Amino acid sequence: MFKIALIGAGRIGRIHAANAAAHPQIELACVVDPIEEAAASLADRHGVPVAGFDEALADPAIAGVVIASSTDTHLDYSLRAVAAGKAVFCEKPIDLDLERARSAASQFEGAPLFLGFNRRFDPNFQALRAKLASGVVGRLESLQITSNDPAPPPPSYVAVSGGLFKDMAIHDFDMARWLLDEEPVEVFAFGACLVDSEIGRLGDVDTARTVLRTASGKLCVISNSRRSGFGYDQRVEAFASGGMARADNVLESTLQVWSEEGARADRFQNFFLDRYAEAYRREMDHFAEVMGGATPAIGYRDGVQALVLAEAAAESARSGSVVRLA
Amino acid sequence: MWSVALIGAGRMGALHGANAARDRRLRLKYVVDHRGESAAALAGSLGARPADLATILADPEIAGVVVASSTDMHLEHCLAATAAGKAVFCEKPIDLDLDKARAAAPRLGDAPLLLGFNRRFDPDVAALKRALDAGAVGALETLHIVNHDPAAPPPGFIPTSGGLFRDFTIHDLDLARWLLGEEPVELYATASCLVDPEIGRLGDVDTARTLLRTASGRLCVISNTRRSGYGYDQRVEAYGAAGRVAIDNRRGDTVETATEEGALRSSILPDFPSRYAASYAAEMDHFADMLADGARPRAGFADGVAALALADACDRSHRTGRPVRLQS
Repeated sequence: MFKIALIGAGRIGRIHAANAAAHPQIELACVVDPIEEAAASLADRHGVPVAGFDEALADPAIAGVVIASSTDTHLDYSLRAVAAGKAVFCEKPIDLDLERARSAASQFEGAPLFLGFNRRFDPNFQALRAKLASGVVGRLESLQITSNDPAPPPPSYVAVSGGLFKDMAIHDFDMARWLLDEEPVEVFAFGACLVDSEIGRLGDVDTARTVLRTASGKLCVISNSRRSGFGYDQRVEAFASGGMARADNVLESTLQVWSEEGARADRFQNFFLDRYAEAYRREMDHFAEVMGGATPAIGYRDGVQALVLAEAAAESARSGSVVRLA
Repeated sequence: MWSVALIGAGRMGALHGANAARDRRLRLKYVVDHRGESAAALAGSLGARPADLATILADPEIAGVVVASSTDMHLEHCLAATAAGKAVFCEKPIDLDLDKARAAAPRLGDAPLLLGFNRRFDPDVAALKRALDAGAVGALETLHIVNHDPAAPPPGFIPTSGGLFRDFTIHDLDLARWLLGEEPVELYATASCLVDPEIGRLGDVDTARTLLRTASGRLCVISNTRRSGYGYDQRVEAYGAAGRVAIDNRRGDTVETATEEGALRSSILPDFPSRYAASYAAEMDHFADMLADGARPRAGFADGVAALALADACDRSHRTGRPVRLQS
């Protein structure tokens, strides 16, 4: 059994706590959160104590730390946990500031840091990547990643989010790198505020289209909107020399209703915690492997590279110019 | 019955000739082609007569001329037919040279000229447009157009094609203008040669992504490849403030075969003649509307010039690696 400490008792912390508690090889040992009530409530639910961060790090029985705190604390907590010899499973993004994230490179060198880009663990996208790797559709040429949220977040969230590209599209930048299997060298993005004018007043965009290009000429389009109006729209199409592979949306049920107006399928799963429930479970599985000595499937460098792309896209949308990456 | 003449007995000419011969309001009287044998063969199969250009323009019975000649002759044939008082249905593109096309504006701008942007006449595309116009998903915000050819054309076609953007993407640029209901003010196109290196050696590309942006901020992505490997991939998705309306590919049949390996549906339609058969017939019928009722063409000279200007801008963007701002 690997004992873990959970840092952060918010929405995503609760998911990871439940998955850790249900995992046969993992024992949730304690919950850490500066908001005592939140920490106590989640700790109670799992029958574990509340602890301080330093206290958790000092406990030699604790093998791993799951960091699901607010984004601005990810880097600091990860560094301290790695320095204390713990394996770390940190929620994305590694940080909102690229320079700051880069400055930690030497400390993360070879460290067992697993970064939570959950889509890589979604069964649908895993199956898509396996198909591409098997070569049955030939050589990958271009990619269409669609990631539309069901409804925009409250403006107060937008203000501290880091902006659409770093907060939301960062998942898609990681997905693009993972599927393209090659680093993008050119980024161009259009951003627009079409959903909620308050988001625009806060200096952010709510709708974007980003094109990436790799050195070998592979193309990738990322489509983002903060509000689809029809559920959580999560799809990938991969066009290759011998055909196309597609992972589609997951519906709430397979129900279809037929009437004079036509055929209507059920809604898309509307919420990321539903759509990616299995991905979060598989992430925790992988963290058990990491605590057992496996190399993390997604590490520090992936976090930095996704941030590089997010900054490039934000810069392109702002300046109207193409951003070329070294 | 309105008598029409067809110029061009090639692939598109044969397609339009058959639709003209089939339309209940039209009579295909002549087929013109500088290759006399082709004209005679097609005319013979459609119950028409081979003729030369002067004959059809001088025949007062001819109300309309269908121009399906080679692209470099489109403009000249349109001008000649219009000057002779005929209504014209011309295949896209109007020309490959934007300046040359623009110079014809005084003579063709108000002429009864239908330009063959066939997608506007496709029943699925038309249903999507109706849904948008009816507000089914609220105000339109973004558009995604997929246009992937089944297989790359022979390299011999490339040098005279005008390049991927003017030859192929131009359909999508017209569709984007029509569906967005607003002119793009900025675009960025990035393209690669991934399908056939011979296309690259000829200075063209075979894979492209184009982003358009309108003045109000509406965004559109156009996805193109010369070779899908799985049929003629033709899809449109429109995202509005209250949802998404989309049209999917059509398949040859509805058979789905399930085995241990998974479920397999029959292939999507393989090529443009099968996928857009209904659109070409509807186009010809619209041409009959123009002849019979004086209906205004649903896609005309100005649309041809506007799409060509966008295609030129795509090519420039791709070659310079920079976004292009468009004059309104």
